[in-house]
Amino acid sequence: MTSRKNLAQNTRAVMFYSIMFAISLIWLYPYIWLFLSSFKPWNEIYTTFIPSHFTLKSYSYILSVANQMGYPFIRGLFNSIFIAVTVTTSVVITSAVIGYALAKIRFSGSKALFNFVIYQMLFPGFMFTVPLYIVIRSFGLLDTYAAMIVPSLMGAWGVFMFSQSFKSIPNAYIEAAKMDGANFFWVVFNVMVPLSKSTMAIVTIFTFIGIWDNFMWPLIVMQSHSKMPLAVLLAVFNKSYGNYVGPILAGSVIQTIPMVIIFIIFRKYFLQGISMSFK
Amino acid sequence: MKNNVRSLERVENIKGWLLSGPYWIFAAIFFGYPFVWLVVIAFSKWNFISPRKTIWFDNFIKLFRDPMFWTVTWNTMRFMLYFIPMGLALSIALAMAFSKAKRFKTFFAMSFLIANVSSGVAYSIIFTQLFSTNGPVNNFLYNNFGVFIPWFSDPNWAMFSIAIMVTWKFIGYYALIFLSGLQAIPKELYEAAEIDGATKWTKFWKITLPLLNPSIVMVMVLAITLSFGIFTEPYMITGGGPLNSTQTFMMVIYTDAFLKYQPGYAATISIIAAGMSFALIILTRKLIERKVEFA
Repeated sequence: MTSRKNLAQNTRAVMFYSIMFAISLIWLYPYIWLFLSSFKPWNEIYTTFIPSHFTLKSYSYILSVANQMGYPFIRGLFNSIFIAVTVTTSVVITSAVIGYALAKIRFSGSKALFNFVIYQMLFPGFMFTVPLYIVIRSFGLLDTYAAMIVPSLMGAWGVFMFSQSFKSIPNAYIEAAKMDGANFFWVVFNVMVPLSKSTMAIVTIFTFIGIWDNFMWPLIVMQSHSKMPLAVLLAVFNKSYGNYVGPILAGSVIQTIPMVIIFIIFRKYFLQGISMSFK
Repeated sequence: MKNNVRSLERVENIKGWLLSGPYWIFAAIFFGYPFVWLVVIAFSKWNFISPRKTIWFDNFIKLFRDPMFWTVTWNTMRFMLYFIPMGLALSIALAMAFSKAKRFKTFFAMSFLIANVSSGVAYSIIFTQLFSTNGPVNNFLYNNFGVFIPWFSDPNWAMFSIAIMVTWKFIGYYALIFLSGLQAIPKELYEAAEIDGATKWTKFWKITLPLLNPSIVMVMVLAITLSFGIFTEPYMITGGGPLNSTQTFMMVIYTDAFLKYQPGYAATISIIAAGMSFALIILTRKLIERKVEFA
């Protein structure tokens, strides 16, 4: 009796896990296909799943031939890294400082600041695309790195996340640090931030991914290929040379890999972040 | 003593303003100032260069007479009709599977979440190829079932295909939100129901679904916001076609402002679109949101 029950249970478990694995593989399939196809000889992209032999032709094409055609992809990769790192660093530092002011300093503007941060988060970003373009244009910043970086240097969401996390830290920590003669920035970055590691990780990851993946804004403000981030350069190349499928897939791999690496490194925080950021 | 307290208050006040000062200034330049521009150009006729002409509500009147506006509204509704039921059903099912799985949890979660970090441009390129007329998906369907689907080239299919892509990307993310909702449901409720002889089906409809309400509302709000902001997929894959069947609000705003040089009209569209998404979110909360109390 018990063995029959066990058997039934085991069969069900095997079925459950097989189905889950099958569905997971379906979900991974686009990535696997992309990765394998970027190494295929060009005539095999649609015809085989596993390439008959691996070749770097697509990569050498996108990295050197496209460069001679005026699409500098290596430079694009560095542009993307530069923009994403600058914005992320700035957002994390400013959000921590302003989040501290919001959470731990009682001043006449605290309530107004809190309301304003919430109010800002209510508006969908797409409302501001056109007027922000006009503002950037009136500053003479079109087609500069500043156009892509400056409007994102601070953000309401980061401030909100840090202030929520700082609120839960007892004031005793701050008092103790002040007793030891710590100045304000020391308190924020050596006491408060280390105590809210997961918030910092979440703000870092989501800001980085958001700016790396940002497409419409750089598409609008950038003209010269040499300053474009990878996403836009790839899109522009795809518009004019869409039939060079192999190189475009290789470009997509290069564009995707940094985010996948960041995701794998910070996966623990990523999982936390999703359930945390909406509470 | 009293003086001391007062001076301490003053110090805190100065500190607070000093620290939040840069944020106020930044927000004034990159939030407040554009906001003023948004309102100004919505009431103007302008092409970025020649002098601006105030035309009051003409842009709004033009909008309601513009067949493109109604096409786009209908497209967005269609997208939501495909995406929201598909996304909700699949991500709830996935969350339940996650909570059931005892082993390989990380692997399952990772395979669905990695889709979520794919870049918009790259995944549009991947799906263009996978779903192309002679691409791998059609090859598979043709060889096994003898059918062939015009994913992006048929006006009736194109928006649905985009909804499939977006579902692929977001389902893992939504499933995690549902998973944390599932974990908040007390186990005793299920045990009590089992004693009363409840079947799996009744347990799902009478316990799980009603108690997941906060997560359902949250995911729906996220999905509505997302639906009004879709740009990269149609821009990269269909260019809004075939027959304007994948034009979205963002596509129209982009085209009107930066290709037709009518920023005023584009601003008007963005205001109306934002209004619609707000209205839908409020409506969703009114219709679906229930107060949930455990135990």
